[in-house]
Amino acid sequence: MTRIPTNFGFTEEHEMLRQEARRLFAERCPISEVRRLADDALGFDPGLWKELGSLGWAGLATGEQYGGAGLGFLPLALLLEEMGRRLVPSPYLASLLASFAIDAGGSSTQRARWLPEIASGTRIGTLALYEPAGGFEAENVRATAEPAEGGFVLRGQKRFVLAGASADCLVVPCREPSGEVSLFVVDLPARGVTVQGEIGVDPTRRTARVALDGVHVACEARLDGSGAAALERTHARGFVALAAEMVGAADAALVMTRDYAIARKQFGRQIGFFQAVKHPIVDVMIGVELARNHVLGAAAAFDHTPHAAEIPARMAKALASDVFATAVRKGVQLHGGYGFTIDCDMHLYFKRALWSRATLGDGPHHRRRLAAALLDRDAAVAV
Amino acid sequence: MSESERVSGEGAEPKEIAEFRLEVRAWMEANRPPDPGFKLPQSFLEVESERQLDFLRAWQRKVYDAGYLGLDWPAEVGGRGDPAKRQRIVGQELARARAPFLVNAIGLQWAGPTILVYGTDAQKKRMLRPILSAEEIWCQGFSEPGAGSDLASATTRAEKQEDGSYRVTGHKVWTTLAHAAKWMILLARTDPSAGKYEGLSFFLFPMDVPGVTVQPLVKMTGEGGFNQVIFDNAPMPADALLGREGQGWDVALTTLLFERGAAEGSGGGQATASGESVRALVSVAQRARRETGFAADDPVFRDRIAQLWIEEEALRLSALRARVPELNADRPQALRLMNKLVYSEYNQRLSELACEMLGPDATLWLGDPCAVDRAEWPRAYMNSFGMTIGGGTSEILRNVIGERVLGLPKTR
Repeated sequence: MTRIPTNFGFTEEHEMLRQEARRLFAERCPISEVRRLADDALGFDPGLWKELGSLGWAGLATGEQYGGAGLGFLPLALLLEEMGRRLVPSPYLASLLASFAIDAGGSSTQRARWLPEIASGTRIGTLALYEPAGGFEAENVRATAEPAEGGFVLRGQKRFVLAGASADCLVVPCREPSGEVSLFVVDLPARGVTVQGEIGVDPTRRTARVALDGVHVACEARLDGSGAAALERTHARGFVALAAEMVGAADAALVMTRDYAIARKQFGRQIGFFQAVKHPIVDVMIGVELARNHVLGAAAAFDHTPHAAEIPARMAKALASDVFATAVRKGVQLHGGYGFTIDCDMHLYFKRALWSRATLGDGPHHRRRLAAALLDRDAAVAV
Repeated sequence: MSESERVSGEGAEPKEIAEFRLEVRAWMEANRPPDPGFKLPQSFLEVESERQLDFLRAWQRKVYDAGYLGLDWPAEVGGRGDPAKRQRIVGQELARARAPFLVNAIGLQWAGPTILVYGTDAQKKRMLRPILSAEEIWCQGFSEPGAGSDLASATTRAEKQEDGSYRVTGHKVWTTLAHAAKWMILLARTDPSAGKYEGLSFFLFPMDVPGVTVQPLVKMTGEGGFNQVIFDNAPMPADALLGREGQGWDVALTTLLFERGAAEGSGGGQATASGESVRALVSVAQRARRETGFAADDPVFRDRIAQLWIEEEALRLSALRARVPELNADRPQALRLMNKLVYSEYNQRLSELACEMLGPDATLWLGDPCAVDRAEWPRAYMNSFGMTIGGGTSEILRNVIGERVLGLPKTR
């Protein structure tokens, strides 16, 4: 019987990190900075990115033998929550997904080759999740890898690649002639790889279409482990990383709405007095706290019971998706006409929520798999 | 996630706690009483008959005699003085074993902890032990016909006599277990000239005095269990006062914190979110016939079951996280104050979903030989409103959370 520790494994060190992260992002990424970067060509502040690297935060959960801090998933979740709170535009999540994939699928040689530079922030990694035909699970992979002299030739289309235009290294799932999916690491730029930035709803997230048009890679670029298994492990970590960020962002949207309900007066009183305003705000708070429970629970599961983390991870992403969506829907609505304008900061959170919910599976997606785990005896995930 | 992990309600525990859990689990397994052959109430809110009461009293007595109640209470008042907060483990194991509930819930969970905070030594010595053993059942006299959600507008009067004793006149409603109770925690007005809140006092009222009339009320399920209580110049001794005169509202707020599961200190009771409810729902889904196949195969129902599973797990995690202050730093009170609201609404949606999945099978009532699970689900759905209304309605609790946790403007 395996269980997470009753205190989630939380330590004083984690508390210090959380406070430091909150302070740093408040100082370096106020909403005016988010707005500036929303119109910036690159879309993030290279200075802040460098600083995250030098603080050791780009490799917070990466093992120490691969240049990371080896602190585990719980502090990573706390850090991501603080980044989400400020909508920090950053290739952080993209690079994190790449490091999860290399860690999950790579041999020790492969990990030693790519992880240290990602962990130090020297190189930005990303993971190509989606294809034009939709879906991000291993069964949806249609891009191909044909054996060729000295390696493989990759062909296919990838979409919604996070930080695609900034990435130095791309982890890309492709299907081999055997039908098996493998993960390939492509150092960028590379001949045959075309990266075209997408025009996204969320200006704080930059994504790209990536075309693989006969890309030659060496044998060592194929991660050793089973691609499907590595993807599964990577996804589960991705669900929680993104959910952590979403909880932070949803909390910020909640606080903004709460503050407005206290400041704004109509009918001679603060609108937060009226229960039609007060109660939805409370419901959002409850949702945020419950989603936070799941993020902490799933993070602790990765740290202590990693073989039993998939269900908690899916629960975290499912609930965070719905809660963040509700937080911004109520957020815009309760700000009234002002909330509907570009002057009100809520739209930035609203757009982030649209992106975050759709990425790595929404509520219905994860609940479908959770239901299978709960209701079907032959489900892949044991309950 | 293993089955055992999902239902245990706990994370990894220190060795002695884990051992204690196993000990309690084994005891429950060996001592859980067999089906008595008559209808048992679903909770302490629906106890009607003498034989139900006797059965449930005997069960609580047995748990107490085994040493599993009042663990956190001081030894000199009948408890075990155990600093390790093991009582919640007993509660979780009671739920896990699907054992009968503890009938003196108002005494164990609301009155007892309040007496521990405000009582004199004499009051603690007199009142607490018989709460644990279920020898003396407790009820609560808070709500009145004209004072429900606006509880502080209560008008029941406790008039001080020359000898220091009181005379009580007034009308209390929704008084669960009044028909069985030896004692009532009573909120009454001692000073009508003082302000709404300042004029109230809190008493431990003996139900067996003249001038007290208990009239049963019937719930929508047809079940009894709660009452109205009419006081006509009923005598009450001076030492019935808990706390100071005029302190009644503060004391009552403390009771409400315990009642809503927002404070620790219960003498014993079932855990709320234990993993048992979703397991029962799955069983219904696998038996509920729909147009094609079972509800367990229907994508719409599967989605809703998964949603409830997510919520149940979130509640289980709340219980863990609530005990780590640093993980609640931004809103220290949130998890505790929202617990009753979230649980009661979750529970209501769960029992409603069971009814919906069962379709026409859920329209059969108690007594019909074909009623699924002895009509447990329509009954549970109806009874679930006891939890979303009693102890502060969901609407009032949203006010409380909005005002105390989020700092939104006060309703009053």
